[in-house]
Amino acid sequence: MISAALFYGFSAFIIIFALAVLFAPNPIVSALSLAATMVGVAGLFFALGSHFIAAVQITVYAGAVMVLFVMVLMLFDLKKEDAVSAMYVRFLKISVAGVILGLISGAITLSGFASNTTIMSVDTASVTPTKKLAVLLFTKYLLAFEVLGILLLVIAIGVVSVSRIKGGTHAKS
Amino acid sequence: MNQDAFVVTVNLIKMAVIFLLMVQLVPILVWVERRGSAFIQNRFGPNRVGPLGLLQLLADAVKFAFKEEFTPGKGHKAFFYMAPIIALLPGVLAFGSIPLSIPFTLSGDGYSHTFATQVFDLGIGIVFVLGVSSLAAYALLLAGWGSANKFSLFGALRASAQMISYELALGLSLVGILLCFGTFNFSEMIAAQEVPLTFFLFGKEYTFLSFLPAWGIFYQPLGALLFFVSVFAETNRLPFDLPEAEAELVAGYHTEYGGLKMLMFYIGEYGHMMVASALMATFYFGGYTFPGLTVVGVQEFFSGTLQIESANLISIFTMLVFHVVLMTKILIFLWIFVWVRWTLPRFRYDQLMDLGWKTMLPWAIFNTVLTAVFLLLRGV
Repeated sequence: MISAALFYGFSAFIIIFALAVLFAPNPIVSALSLAATMVGVAGLFFALGSHFIAAVQITVYAGAVMVLFVMVLMLFDLKKEDAVSAMYVRFLKISVAGVILGLISGAITLSGFASNTTIMSVDTASVTPTKKLAVLLFTKYLLAFEVLGILLLVIAIGVVSVSRIKGGTHAKS
Repeated sequence: MNQDAFVVTVNLIKMAVIFLLMVQLVPILVWVERRGSAFIQNRFGPNRVGPLGLLQLLADAVKFAFKEEFTPGKGHKAFFYMAPIIALLPGVLAFGSIPLSIPFTLSGDGYSHTFATQVFDLGIGIVFVLGVSSLAAYALLLAGWGSANKFSLFGALRASAQMISYELALGLSLVGILLCFGTFNFSEMIAAQEVPLTFFLFGKEYTFLSFLPAWGIFYQPLGALLFFVSVFAETNRLPFDLPEAEAELVAGYHTEYGGLKMLMFYIGEYGHMMVASALMATFYFGGYTFPGLTVVGVQEFFSGTLQIESANLISIFTMLVFHVVLMTKILIFLWIFVWVRWTLPRFRYDQLMDLGWKTMLPWAIFNTVLTAVFLLLRGV
């Protein structure tokens, strides 16, 4: 009963804020709604019993990535964006979101996941999920994990080199 | 009563108790802060209202409650009202997941229930605390943006940049202690710190001074120092209070706030300090345990020496004794927070960023690697 209430509560929370991301005229309201959506997704993970993923979801996405987004948005002068948030901008946003949603749901349907519904139950009492996750990450998926790490390093170096072209933030002129 | 409904009710009551505990500690801390600063600066401080000026807080609270409500004309009203409430939440949620004492059991005819003295035992303890504390940046961002004031916005931007920078050093400084104890769970960590202090090197076991407990500070002195410095930055306390540097930014993100809303920011800040002190005590100073103080010993003291017969009362009193131990440790760290605030001057912003990225982060990585190498030598 409680798990059902949690599921529907968090789902409603996520849907409301996801819609707010699309329909809010102010980019900052959009970004904050996205952060709230992340918190809602973390809540769903908590309700499913995967506490570690939920906490990492909050720390990384809601606590770091979205804070940076909001911070950068606040540095801009948003008066123009407020003024031009006309119909066509919203139409563009909604149509892009619709196309992506269609692609994802199409991919899920076509991959045979929908027809083959075996519900996996997690025995939360006997295993320590965090340890299991760590062991999997550092044995079976070690290569993917390391490659992702290198990818992130490449991105970081790329961002630094791009921002330093013509002096970057330290431009003399 | 339904078992689920019972657990939910108990947890909600515990949440309310934790919140009230935090709110009640704030006036005392404000008093300690003002009298402590006066003591350090050779002044008197508030000493007119009540004994030692203790009732000054009551007068202040009444003043806060009756101040005029005002909102900046061009601000974002919803954000402006949301920010102080969001500032309160992370501290309460984080404090709720820290075990404040041993569990106690209430039993009678036909029922027996053991209550844990923490709102939720998630098993991942510290990851959850780091997660919810990182959400505190939103309160400052919302306050800064919602006020439509350039000083507020500057303060908010500084605060978020600072919190994200120091979160890295904070997280990495904890990896060492997590490796040592091999768990995320606070209760297991505290249990691991009860045994006598032992060092393992090259497969040999050395025990020094058997009365010393295996507190984290003996294994991770560098980690403890880095952790303590980065929580100063996370709580926006001096010497890291750039977000509200009054010489440059009036009052930073809460320039436009007054009355109870301002007080809520204060409670949020002190709540963060309490969480930081509780974490410091739990990780590095044995949590609610103290060498020589055992559960059985305390129970025997109550049943034997004091002749208390009710098992429920003994259980509750034992819980309270261990709670007082933890509270004493927390209060000692809170005093260090106050002490440092009135001793060190404020950093310049580039110094702050240099310290975070070029000093703390490399040392935290070094600490992690060193701990990992030692654990490998120990041969776990």
